[in-house]
Amino acid sequence: MSFPDALAGTRPAAWVDDPLELDVFTRWQKDGAGRRIAESSLRIGGMHCAQCADVIGQSLRRVPGVLDASVSAASHCATVQWDAQLTRPSALVEAVEAAGYEAAPDTAAAARALRKKESRAALWRLFVAAFCAMQIMMLATPAYVSAPGELAAEHKRLLDWGSWLLTLPVLWFSAAPFFAGAWRSFAQRRIGMDVPVAIGIAVAFVASSGAAFDPGGLFGREVYFDSLAMFVSFLLGGRLLEMRARHRAEVSLEDATTRLPQSVMRLLADGTVEVVSAKRLGRGDLVRIPMGQAFAADGVVTEGQTQADESLLTGESRPVPKRNGDTVIAGSVNLQSPVVMRVERVGADTRYEAIVALMRAAKTQRPAVLASADRWASPFLWAVLLLAAAAGAAWSVIDPARAVWVVVSVLIVTCPCALSLAAPSALLAAAGAMGRQGVLLRRLDAVERLAKVQTLFIDKTGTLTEGRLRCVAVKRQDGGDPAATHEIEARAASLAAWSNHPLSVAAREAFPAAGIAWHDVRETPGLGLEGTDDHGCAWRLGSATWAGATEDVGHMQGAHVWLGRDGRPVARFDFDEAVRDDAPAALRALQAQGVRIHLLSGDEPARARRLAAALGLASAEGAMTPADKLAAVCRAQARGEVVAMIGDGINDAPVLAQADVSLAMGEGALIARTQADGVLVSNRLNDAVRARAIAQRAMRIVRQNLAWAAAYNAACVPLALAGWLPPWAAGLGMAASSLVVVTNSLRLSR
Amino acid sequence: MDILYLLIPMSAVLVLGILAVFAWALDGGQFDDLEQHGEQIFEPDADPLDRHQAP
Repeated sequence: MSFPDALAGTRPAAWVDDPLELDVFTRWQKDGAGRRIAESSLRIGGMHCAQCADVIGQSLRRVPGVLDASVSAASHCATVQWDAQLTRPSALVEAVEAAGYEAAPDTAAAARALRKKESRAALWRLFVAAFCAMQIMMLATPAYVSAPGELAAEHKRLLDWGSWLLTLPVLWFSAAPFFAGAWRSFAQRRIGMDVPVAIGIAVAFVASSGAAFDPGGLFGREVYFDSLAMFVSFLLGGRLLEMRARHRAEVSLEDATTRLPQSVMRLLADGTVEVVSAKRLGRGDLVRIPMGQAFAADGVVTEGQTQADESLLTGESRPVPKRNGDTVIAGSVNLQSPVVMRVERVGADTRYEAIVALMRAAKTQRPAVLASADRWASPFLWAVLLLAAAAGAAWSVIDPARAVWVVVSVLIVTCPCALSLAAPSALLAAAGAMGRQGVLLRRLDAVERLAKVQTLFIDKTGTLTEGRLRCVAVKRQDGGDPAATHEIEARAASLAAWSNHPLSVAAREAFPAAGIAWHDVRETPGLGLEGTDDHGCAWRLGSATWAGATEDVGHMQGAHVWLGRDGRPVARFDFDEAVRDDAPAALRALQAQGVRIHLLSGDEPARARRLAAALGLASAEGAMTPADKLAAVCRAQARGEVVAMIGDGINDAPVLAQADVSLAMGEGALIARTQADGVLVSNRLNDAVRARAIAQRAMRIVRQNLAWAAAYNAACVPLALAGWLPPWAAGLGMAASSLVVVTNSLRLSR
Repeated sequence: MDILYLLIPMSAVLVLGILAVFAWALDGGQFDDLEQHGEQIFEPDADPLDRHQAP
């Protein structure tokens, strides 16, 4: 029955040759000689250093038919080009395994390559713009600091030409996205942020070039290459941050979809085992699940007995025993021993896929904050363009020599820099400050909603309570001396040390163990432990009947363990979930700020209500499925409330994605952490209270910034329209206003 | 001040040189994952940050 025997004669990696799998991680092309060349992406496991990459690369290239192989040590990925007539992907996987590493098809390779390309291009544009801007600033300094007549005309021209040369890469390369964006919105007859930006850049460049090469001509003598380059690099910096946030969101979705095993062991009618792609599974297939693997589909256990960890899917904190005939859920993990299951539902029908789909939907429905900003920006941008055009028309009548400069001044002085930096800079500083308090934010726009939270939904198991059990009471049942209870406790802990059952783990954590030499220790699944001490007494730890007790505890909450000696009960240990130490204080602080707190739990309703009453919460609902929780959050949102959610398990993930702002516990499921806006790294609920205080301060600073930027525009636009503000002053004013905004925001990180 | 006619073109050439160095570093993937090293401490089975340090 052991797997290597059952698999003898078959190649375990053959499932990757299945066309269903192959197309996901392989791209096809034809070379000059008409051969079909495939390029496959593999994820490599077990890599630690650059040397490993060399070893894997060499062993891949030794496979006949492999044309080229490149292995990245940083991303743990390999890209292999191979001839479809000479080899198969399974040979590649076997070559990597023969070298001592693991390999699996990399299904997300294409999206990742695209993200990498995008992020490199954005960084490259920003660096070119920022670095050239610094150099241009240096060349422009003499003109700013010299007294009239001090700078010789030919030196001024030389500096201008240098600036012009350095502006070329900024204009043609770095600013290209603005021109492309402006062209797109022009083609769609809409106005976007890019339009005035592109016009401002183009006008400033044309006019400055004219001034540099024909001083005193149509465009005067002043050049403003420095303002232009600085302006472009500020804007590109903002876009880079935006792109990073988007990429992170994409990665989290990919992680969520890779939790199920890719290959499974299917039992054939003759009792042999074949390894096939999980996508090949159908209803009625018999599948063997080894210990430690996730169940690939929903189904029924038909052979063997085990325990399954369903905590990530149902919120049930204890391993669930699975015997013949019990149902198992895709995505839960087989903990104890290998079993055989019959597949009942696969693919999109499984509960796991349903949860992933809920999460995806919640994510795309999340109200876009940016949409409202765009609605507001459009009239502003039209006003700027119209003002600039009107000023240009007016001045071409009053004084044609200054008309171009007034237009450039208006376009630059109203540049949305201070306005567009007002919020992101404060949010970024707030995220940094929260990071030092133990709250890692994944999405910056969460700060705003965190400050406004009116309703908090909180999960029970793993969030309000710790994931482990705590002993709350010890009842002696043999009428013995209560003073000797600690000796009984030590004996129980010592016997419990022989088992890994969650209650045994809790028992040995609760009491100091005595050094007792046990003989003939035996564990019977579902009943308990048995052992004999040096005096020949048979001690039993476990369920009531196992220890010889006749109590009925059906009405009592929590979990119970009995210790018995020679068939007579000695003591009963009552266990319950341990509430986190700082939970009561944190919840009181939030309630004092006017936040309504509701408990949502997948656990028994009575238990949830009891905990909520103990903590003074407004309401508690138990036996909630992920869909119920999602519905509760949607109802609150429909009432117009700003909803926060704190949770930890996979079952919370859709709710975390739907809530306006969500925090996950640091020790929670990976998927919950990736769906949440932020992570409480050290699992302290108090950190959430502090994060909220920082968020409220951040919103005050955003309002100050916006007021300042508006005041600046209100003061400077009339000056520019009146022709009293030369473009250099406009550029300086733009930089200074941005600096004021950023400095104000940085107060948050102190 | 004639030296300016040499220094300013030179500084422009130097800028291009520095841009080329950055392009090389970017293309080598040095900026692909800036958070990787910061997040390493959260990964339970990662190598110790400094393998050469005495225990």
